[in-house]
Amino acid sequence: MPTLIRREGAGCAWADDTFVTLEDEAPDPGGDVIVTLSRFLAEGEALAARPAGRLGVRLEPEDEVEALEGRLAPVVLVALSFPKFRDGRPFTAARLLRTRLGFQGEIRAVGDVLRDQAGFMVRCGFDAFVPSDGSGPEAWALAAARHRHVYQRAADGRAPAFLERQGG
Amino acid sequence: MYRYDAVDRAVLADRTAEFRDQVERRLSGELTEDQFKPLRLMNGLYLQLHAYMLRVAVPYGSLNPVQMRALADIARRFDRGYGHFTTRTNIQFNWVRLADAPDILDALAAVDLHAIQTSGNCIRNVTADPYAGAAADELEDPRVWCEAIRQWSSLHPEFSFLPRKFKIAVTASPHDRTAAKVHDIGLLLRRGRDGETGFEVIVGGGMGRTPHVGPTIKAYLPSDRLFSYLEAILRVYNRHGRRDNIYKARIKILVSALGAEAFAREVEAEWERIGTDGDLPRAEVDRIRSAFTTPDLGGAPSSGDFEARRAAEPAFARFVRNNLKAHLRPGYGIVDISLKGIGETPGDISADQMEVVADLAERFGQGDIRATHEQNLVLPHVRLEHVHEVWKGLAAVGLATPNINLISDIIACPGLDYCALANARAICVAQDIARRFEAPDRAEAIGELKIKISGCINACGHHHVGHIGILGVDKKGEEFYQLTLGGSGAEDAAVGKMLGPALPIDRVTDAVEAIVEAYLRERTGGERFLDTLRRTGDAPFREAVYADAH
Amino acid sequence: MKALTANRLSDGEVVFWKDGAWVERLAEAGLFDEDGPAASAEAAARGQPTLVIDPYLIDLVDSSGFWAPVSYRERIRALGPTNHELHGKQAEGGGAVEALRQAHGAARSSGRVNLIRRK
Repeated sequence: MPTLIRREGAGCAWADDTFVTLEDEAPDPGGDVIVTLSRFLAEGEALAARPAGRLGVRLEPEDEVEALEGRLAPVVLVALSFPKFRDGRPFTAARLLRTRLGFQGEIRAVGDVLRDQAGFMVRCGFDAFVPSDGSGPEAWALAAARHRHVYQRAADGRAPAFLERQGG
Repeated sequence: MYRYDAVDRAVLADRTAEFRDQVERRLSGELTEDQFKPLRLMNGLYLQLHAYMLRVAVPYGSLNPVQMRALADIARRFDRGYGHFTTRTNIQFNWVRLADAPDILDALAAVDLHAIQTSGNCIRNVTADPYAGAAADELEDPRVWCEAIRQWSSLHPEFSFLPRKFKIAVTASPHDRTAAKVHDIGLLLRRGRDGETGFEVIVGGGMGRTPHVGPTIKAYLPSDRLFSYLEAILRVYNRHGRRDNIYKARIKILVSALGAEAFAREVEAEWERIGTDGDLPRAEVDRIRSAFTTPDLGGAPSSGDFEARRAAEPAFARFVRNNLKAHLRPGYGIVDISLKGIGETPGDISADQMEVVADLAERFGQGDIRATHEQNLVLPHVRLEHVHEVWKGLAAVGLATPNINLISDIIACPGLDYCALANARAICVAQDIARRFEAPDRAEAIGELKIKISGCINACGHHHVGHIGILGVDKKGEEFYQLTLGGSGAEDAAVGKMLGPALPIDRVTDAVEAIVEAYLRERTGGERFLDTLRRTGDAPFREAVYADAH
Repeated sequence: MKALTANRLSDGEVVFWKDGAWVERLAEAGLFDEDGPAASAEAAARGQPTLVIDPYLIDLVDSSGFWAPVSYRERIRALGPTNHELHGKQAEGGGAVEALRQAHGAARSSGRVNLIRRK
């Protein structure tokens, strides 16, 4: 039973999750792995040189996203953790990953992840979600497309109202 | 008034539909209360003691007559025929059913009103000088910036789950009527040397458990860089504000922990990285400015029989002395409408009264109504020749109480009569004090005296900045009240100092009277209460209140 | 003596537990003079999240022959706001309402304090 939802075009769909999340001391099973930021910083070169399998990094809200600056080349996925859905720090992390660090891989929301945050998440640059509320891709697609207009620039390239109004 | 366009209306329609869906999911059990609570709060819906309460945003305190009538209609259909204006210039309905909330939001959206971000850990309703666009001492109408901030902050994708709530006030007058220095951000409009406008930026003021008068972190921010700078402040706060302790989560705690200078440096560094990409194009600011209706203040109208009536009718003269303020155009005045009738609930207004205010605004006030953070209303543009008729219209429904800035013009939060967070009642304390000082000659002889009452330490009643502040506490299951003196929410902002041990409810009004009598004994010349207190210190007042306890 | 109270989900109305259902008047509430049954009623109420929010036990004292909450907060919940005597449950008047108005216990309800602690 899949638990991962990916954004596909304007919609959302279930996706197979090939990634295994590794704790700091756990042995590398090979294949696609997600490591903590501290492990990534400590073993970055070795991880980048793994013969097979892709690399993801998981950031907790208190981790500074700038720690990844200049080191994102081997990384295909950044998982941003929501210990509580009320913790708003991952929104900033995602936005900076996209707009400041130029990250083009997957940004995945993990932890206490609710469909009612879908619109905000997509706007900040998240494109994959592991919901904790049992919601499916239809609900995420609906929530993400709920608002026809937005007032702010963010990380999703949508034209904010002030540009729409100028015909831009 | 800012006129909504199709985009603004679509945003409200989509938000209302979203909330209707969330309410349905809660009623069906799909959402738990823990999940639903932050969602309903982000739309201003609280569960209070007796019912749900819906807090409707009145952006920068500005309403038109159509909106006011819609509020009256909602009060009748969904509440018990009244509403309550708050210190954030919002209006609350106290008896709302959860299932009705989406219909109320539809009714609001039909007149371009909403409840977006009137609660929750997000950017709350931005407040402005209630005399904006009318005040004689104003540099420029701050509401243009307020509306731009309203739009920028609405459903902000990055800043909707902040460590704690976030409040912004904007004023453009040297006389601060917004309490800007006790806001998370206070923006004071300034004229630069180049003749352009900008803002003095104050960050980290606040009330609650740890009151702070906010420091200035930027003396002059060019106005076209406002939004990148706001983004920088909010980002530093969102990343570094404390989330481990709800009582230490406001930005004031971060600013005071880092120190204002270090905080300012962090903001400047972030601001530099954002660059002008974070700014609102000048064309959009101009569009917003042009979307405001401009009052027709043409010519210098005759003041009619204003002076004659003022001379002939003492009651009218009293109203003029206390409730009429200087307008930037000769021949006009700003009319303050007191929602502090003696013995009434501060900030409450009935549906009938709302409709009378709407009618008067339409006939004599250019269709412009404002709410103040002191829980009163304002008709900002009234020709002097019409003031008498406005006064009569207000008096007919009990809205002509001539007590603006006087001792009975008391701020009080809903307190324990309604609020689930309160420790003690506030309304009955305000009513009792107002009745004690009912005699208008005596109130005028006392002069400017601001009493502010909160029913708990969250300080919604702004007690920290009351000239006399009153804080309700629960002492072993009984209502007690702590008095503070010397607070001010104006340009000379200050946090009041505690006078002594808390008093039981039946001693509060006596204590206030003792303080007033001490002031009248001590004052010299034209001193206001606050002037005398600052000169003498609080010793005479403490003696007056606690003497018999020695 | 104790009663079990909550706010109804659909409209926020203050309600009291009575034999597995909810009533609006304190005078009709089920009473508990032993901790065991009170705790099991509270647990059962917690299992009704689509009916009520935050059920908790309140302490009662005798007032003119009626049971009244010992905490003034709970008396206001059982009556309505003191600034509008015709709003809320107090509007219907009568002996039970008058007894609540005259009650003057002074203590917090431990049930609510525990509820806040749990959060």
